[in-house]
Amino acid sequence: MLTAFDPVTKGIVISVAAVLAATPLVFLAMQAAGKLNEKLRKELWTRYLSWLVIAPLLMVPVLAGRVWTILGVGVLSLFCYREYARATGLFRHHALSATVALGIALLTFAALDHWYDFFVAVPSLMVLILAMVAVGADQPSGYIQRVALAVFGLLLFGVCLSHLGYFANDKAYRPIVLMIILCTELNDIFAFITGKAFGRRRLAPQTSPNKTIGGSVGSLVLTTALVAWLAGPIFSGTPLDHPVHRIAMGLIVSIGGQFGDLVLSSIKRDLGVKDLAVVIPGHGGLLDRFDSLLLVAPAMFHYVGYFWELGLDQPARLLSGGL
Amino acid sequence: MSEWSYQPAADQELPPGQRLRSVRRETGVTGAIAHYGWGTFVRLYLRAYHRLHIEGRENLPVDAPFVVIANHSSHLDALTIATALPWRLRRKAYPIAAGDTFFESHTTAFFSAIMLNALPMWRKRTVRHALDQLRQRMLEEPCGYILFPEGTRSRTGELGTFRSGIGMLIAGTAVPAIPCCLSGAHDAWPPTSRVPRPRPIQIRIGKALRFPDTPNERSGWNDVAKQLEAAVRELRN
Repeated sequence: MLTAFDPVTKGIVISVAAVLAATPLVFLAMQAAGKLNEKLRKELWTRYLSWLVIAPLLMVPVLAGRVWTILGVGVLSLFCYREYARATGLFRHHALSATVALGIALLTFAALDHWYDFFVAVPSLMVLILAMVAVGADQPSGYIQRVALAVFGLLLFGVCLSHLGYFANDKAYRPIVLMIILCTELNDIFAFITGKAFGRRRLAPQTSPNKTIGGSVGSLVLTTALVAWLAGPIFSGTPLDHPVHRIAMGLIVSIGGQFGDLVLSSIKRDLGVKDLAVVIPGHGGLLDRFDSLLLVAPAMFHYVGYFWELGLDQPARLLSGGL
Repeated sequence: MSEWSYQPAADQELPPGQRLRSVRRETGVTGAIAHYGWGTFVRLYLRAYHRLHIEGRENLPVDAPFVVIANHSSHLDALTIATALPWRLRRKAYPIAAGDTFFESHTTAFFSAIMLNALPMWRKRTVRHALDQLRQRMLEEPCGYILFPEGTRSRTGELGTFRSGIGMLIAGTAVPAIPCCLSGAHDAWPPTSRVPRPRPIQIRIGKALRFPDTPNERSGWNDVAKQLEAAVRELRN
């Protein structure tokens, strides 16, 4: 089945499957060596079982095709916004939440239609619609807070994330999207491991007390190296086939990922909640898992798009049928 | 300029299964759409299949908080009362349903929570604590409840004795308790029958009673229960 895909896509899928298959053996070996106490063992297994569900949910739509990738990102955006709305209290304002959901639906439509002008128009149009809808309640007290929260939610979980789906309008989207997801997730893991090994000074103690400068630098080096390596075959023969671009993309993934994480930590600290939801056992909410992708998706999209014309050789306005 | 204040959902830190069963459950747009859609379907069903007749709508309050109470003899009762409420009240109204019947499995809990907007009352557990939570929520949010003070469905269709729990909810508050009388529901879907029969159902909504000076203690609770039972009895005659 995998033979239809390019070597990088095949490589990523096989590697992830192999790592997931081998992980229980590592746990068993660690247990046999007496390196796991009961609490750690339980936590590792919970996290592992969650990954067994998350990994296919992320990869299968990307492999299945353009439409599934864009719809999958649209659904992820809606669920992420839902967590945010419930944590901020915005969910009680039904008209505003429904308008944000409409904005996410329109962004998803623009991506499905491959209509970039509309994709760019939706954010600004939705801002004015949100400002108007909020007037409807005739409740000036708290107006700025409500509109600002809704606009922030739309931009962060709708606009930012939908760029990941828009990649699918390029013929060669699979390895790019898979590389972004894989390296962003690994960036977190690299930061955790190198932080444990070399972390001394804390990076932002008020925002996220467990993050260290050692972890941040460690993940920057490792993620950049991994992206630079994977980007070689992916962008071979394109204007991005140059070491400077490959390293730049690595830096974007690592720095964007770390800031995405810190942005969500800041939101959680400000709200005074530990996790944004309790959906994924061992992880917390969807946003606790996918926060790093929020900033990486648009940053990578525009970097790649600036130097290499993403999807421009593909038919546009597939559904709306315009010019 | 006022400070920003955030109010996370009261059930924000609960996993999905516990959220459905929590008396602190709060829903957003999707919940409201499901609730409204199901309500519309039930309204059409009750009108068409049971020729539902509603009397005394003018006795309903303008806004929450409120408590609607009635005699209980059929699973159609809470649906009928909810149908009699206009959307401005229905969207804030939570039927109080038996936890061991309506919230036991994930499927029934999902249906009860999302479609009916019901909150569970676990009859075998600490009723007092649950009623305190409900009372607090009703006054703070504010919201309304639909409940049946007999505590269970009447097996004969006759009105049973009201339990004092209703008193724990409203004694010492100005919250209006609206007595209702349902007739025909027992005949339409008695506890012995598996499916509803096409019999007419009538609901009569009485004038609200308030208990602001009733002490919030055992004697006051009993007093509330007695007065409301008498009000429902009067509506039946």
